[in-house]
Amino acid sequence: MIRIENLEKVYKTEEVETTALNGINLHVKAGEFVSIMGPSGCGKSTLLNVMGLLDKPESGSYKFIDTELLTLNDRERSNFRKRNMGFVFQNFNLIDELTVFENIELPLIYNKIPAGERKTLVNEIIERMNIVNRSGHFPQQLSGGQQQRVAVARALVTKPKLVLADEPTGNLDSSHGNEVMELLCELNETGTTIVMVTHSSHDASFSNRIINLKDGHVISEKINKSRNEELI
Amino acid sequence: MFKLNLKIALRNLWRNRIITSINVGGLAIALAAFILVVMYFTYETSFDKTNPNYNNIYVVGRIYPDFKTNYTSPPFAKAIKQNFPEVENAGITKRGFFEFTMKNGKNTLFAKNFMQADYNAAKILDLKPTGGLEKPAGEVDRLSYLSEESMKVLYPNKTDNKPEMVGMGSSNSGITSKINGSIINNLHSNITFDGISIGNEIGQGENYGMNNYTTYIQVKPGTDVANLEQKITKLYRNELLKGETDQKTIEEIKSISTFLDPLSNQHLKPKAGNDAPYKILIALSVLGILILVIACINFTNLSIAQATKRAKEVGIKKVMGAYRFQLTTQFLAEIFIQCLFATVLALIVAELVLPYFNNLFQINLSVWHIDNDLIWQLPLILCLITLIAGIYPAIVLSGFKPALVLKGNFSTSKQSYWLRNSLLVFQFSIAVIFIIGLFIINSQLKYMRSEDLGFTANQVVYIKNQTLFNNPVKFGSLNFESVRDKILKIPGIKSATVATDVPDGAENGTNGYTFEGVQSSLDFVDVDFDYFETLDIKLKQGRFFSQSFSTDTANSAVINESAVAKYGMKNPVGKTIKGCNIDYKIVGVIKDFKAQGFESAVQPTIYTIKNPCGNYKTQIMLKIEENKMADALATLKAQWPQINPKDGQDFRYEFLDELYGKLFKKQEQLQSVFFAAALLTIFIAILGLFAFAKYITNGRIKEIAVRKILGASDIQIFKLINRSFLVMVLLANVISWPVAYILTKKWLETFAYRIDLPVLPFMSSALITILLTVITVSIQAKKAVKANPVDALKYE
Repeated sequence: MIRIENLEKVYKTEEVETTALNGINLHVKAGEFVSIMGPSGCGKSTLLNVMGLLDKPESGSYKFIDTELLTLNDRERSNFRKRNMGFVFQNFNLIDELTVFENIELPLIYNKIPAGERKTLVNEIIERMNIVNRSGHFPQQLSGGQQQRVAVARALVTKPKLVLADEPTGNLDSSHGNEVMELLCELNETGTTIVMVTHSSHDASFSNRIINLKDGHVISEKINKSRNEELI
Repeated sequence: MFKLNLKIALRNLWRNRIITSINVGGLAIALAAFILVVMYFTYETSFDKTNPNYNNIYVVGRIYPDFKTNYTSPPFAKAIKQNFPEVENAGITKRGFFEFTMKNGKNTLFAKNFMQADYNAAKILDLKPTGGLEKPAGEVDRLSYLSEESMKVLYPNKTDNKPEMVGMGSSNSGITSKINGSIINNLHSNITFDGISIGNEIGQGENYGMNNYTTYIQVKPGTDVANLEQKITKLYRNELLKGETDQKTIEEIKSISTFLDPLSNQHLKPKAGNDAPYKILIALSVLGILILVIACINFTNLSIAQATKRAKEVGIKKVMGAYRFQLTTQFLAEIFIQCLFATVLALIVAELVLPYFNNLFQINLSVWHIDNDLIWQLPLILCLITLIAGIYPAIVLSGFKPALVLKGNFSTSKQSYWLRNSLLVFQFSIAVIFIIGLFIINSQLKYMRSEDLGFTANQVVYIKNQTLFNNPVKFGSLNFESVRDKILKIPGIKSATVATDVPDGAENGTNGYTFEGVQSSLDFVDVDFDYFETLDIKLKQGRFFSQSFSTDTANSAVINESAVAKYGMKNPVGKTIKGCNIDYKIVGVIKDFKAQGFESAVQPTIYTIKNPCGNYKTQIMLKIEENKMADALATLKAQWPQINPKDGQDFRYEFLDELYGKLFKKQEQLQSVFFAAALLTIFIAILGLFAFAKYITNGRIKEIAVRKILGASDIQIFKLINRSFLVMVLLANVISWPVAYILTKKWLETFAYRIDLPVLPFMSSALITILLTVITVSIQAKKAVKANPVDALKYE
């Protein structure tokens, strides 16, 4: 589904140039759950941002199914993103002024889904995420685990083909973290492709494949046999 | 989506409600000021605009080498109409030059301006008598109308429009006159009157020398006015040259030209007159715009300061697929809502302030008026301020890169840091200019009120009088002696005199006088005995007029110091000065006194009792002992018909000091405007500072906590937070000083008698702004200083 070739990204400040991605090649099949690991500053988040069309690389190619995404303009990128991708962040990134329901509804609004249908979709996902009794609450009234559930719900409500998760358990204790990981696995089992950046090998053990980055290079790729066997 | 954005906006505003109310409140007050200015501007620039031929009406004036005038003679209008087909109509009007009394039983009207107009002028000027404009026909030569207000005074219960006979002068005069009806006196017009007499023709028999009329012409649309102007000049010269043989006069005539001045110029910047009202209007408009801009700056500043708080929202929405344009409009819509709310508040504030404003400018504006231009101006203003205040923050906010802001790697860019600081400096600069301006206006006014005028207006009563006095008596006039004798019998009245002019700022007449072969023009004032004593004018040499010298009513003159200087006289007393075919003997020299106020220098002036070239003396002045003032006035009122039988039973008076005080009115208006402006700008700037300091302090909470942990004292933290703001305020002072210096110096130069530009206002403005800044910022800093540093770090 995703073919990334020779991706290069350089951050420039007044004094220094930092190469964040240095000729990355990466293929992700539909329905795969891929973890990206590596030390701080190795370029994992940059890679995820590029994949989420939140950042532009200097060169290379990024094909999604058969569409080359790097040649799109801002508006086309927005459109592509909202139709095909969902995001889960380490720090949840919910809008404080909106309730749980409204936060989840937001991507549907940008996708121009009619109000009635929006309501059904949001209620469905709220039920699935087991946060029905929280739907009128504001983010600051929820625990971290609950907030991340809302964030996952928001990422899934548009039924995206690809979910990008940036250290989704980074701000959670282990039990809440596990809950979120299980949620992502369930999701993956229903066919959604997931790419997750993580520091935690425990979290990575939930995925099919683990890619290790260092200094902007892919230094190793490992098939997670236990998980694959589990699936078989 | 709109609903959701609205929700976010409202919840955000509510969460930051202190800042929001500061923002909206400040803008509302500034907007109220701006609305008043806009209303005033509209009013001032739309005089006579209801006239259907507004754009085609011109006043014909004359230009001499040394002056311009709107006064022309009656035959000129006719000549213009006959000669130029592009002139559709031409007519003349004549102002009422003196006040007269009209009576109906006990109701009395003092008509200050009973105008005359010919039918053509009435048509051009769109005069509207009740029942329509009528052309006097047959034996009726003129139709006279009273303004509706005047009619109400004489006939309070009149409902019909039938003609009335009114008494003229005092009840016992026996003179009556016919009033044909009432007429609309449009106060929003250049032509206002208490009454008007419309003739088929006026000024018949008067020639080109009688320049007492105003000529109006109405040209056909599309007329080349510059060309017409030239043709009219040619015509005027030809008319004057008819039968003229004297070469010198012919040369003089050739130097005269005429001008056409549009009706739209008459109120604010007539070609023959001064354009001070126009300048004041422009200054006021600039002031209104400045105040509004400052309030908008608060908006911009605070919105950018809030950016950190909104950054996450922008990031998330962009991740969800929002376009930048959508976000820009969302932020603009948010600011629009605040501006809308501010506008509603502003209208309420404007309505509350309007009575004071109307009183100050002597006008009658109203917010709730059907054909008010505000109906279209207000939405325009609203959109404009939304754009000014909102476009920059909207663009900045919507431009955040989601990948950065969602990681929390967000800091306000250097660029907006500079922008915010320069905006703050700008705000304070304007405030400082107004504060300095206010101080200097105050000083000048204080000087004007306390400076020795050279005469004493206190306890001098000026009596309005219609009897003509002259000494020696000439046709139709009386000798003042008998009136004076009767007045002086009243206890408390120390002296009484009559003159052509009172020292109330009015200009005197001028005439040529020759002294030792040198001819020069002097102001002349015709006076009577006790004139100088009544006004307590100081003698420098010689003596005042005195009844013990019989020659004083024949050929004695008193001159002032300026006149002595003008001729370069040495020992003038006893010498002769010639004017109006009389050889005047100078009997005294008086010290200069400021009869014309502080704006123009004291003119070289000659005072005489006899002056065949002068006017009649009608202005009576009495010096009355202060503790007997009330009794003396009561007695005067009771005895007036006997004291001055020709003037009738109406005793009307004013105190000379109040009359003279009216000369300061313009300055007092300016003082009020500056007071309001200084207060407003400093208030709005401080509001902005307050909110800004709050944000800055909030942003530095962690830094303050770390510093405290490392051992910083409270004072050091206060200093730290105040420092950057103090630098900005000092900078604002330094920037505005030269500007204020130039502006106030220019203003002071409009006075012939003025203060030296003081340094104190500049220092005071710095002190005031610094003090206010320290207080404002410290209130905010206190919270950060008093907070437990551990909390701040834990939060982080």
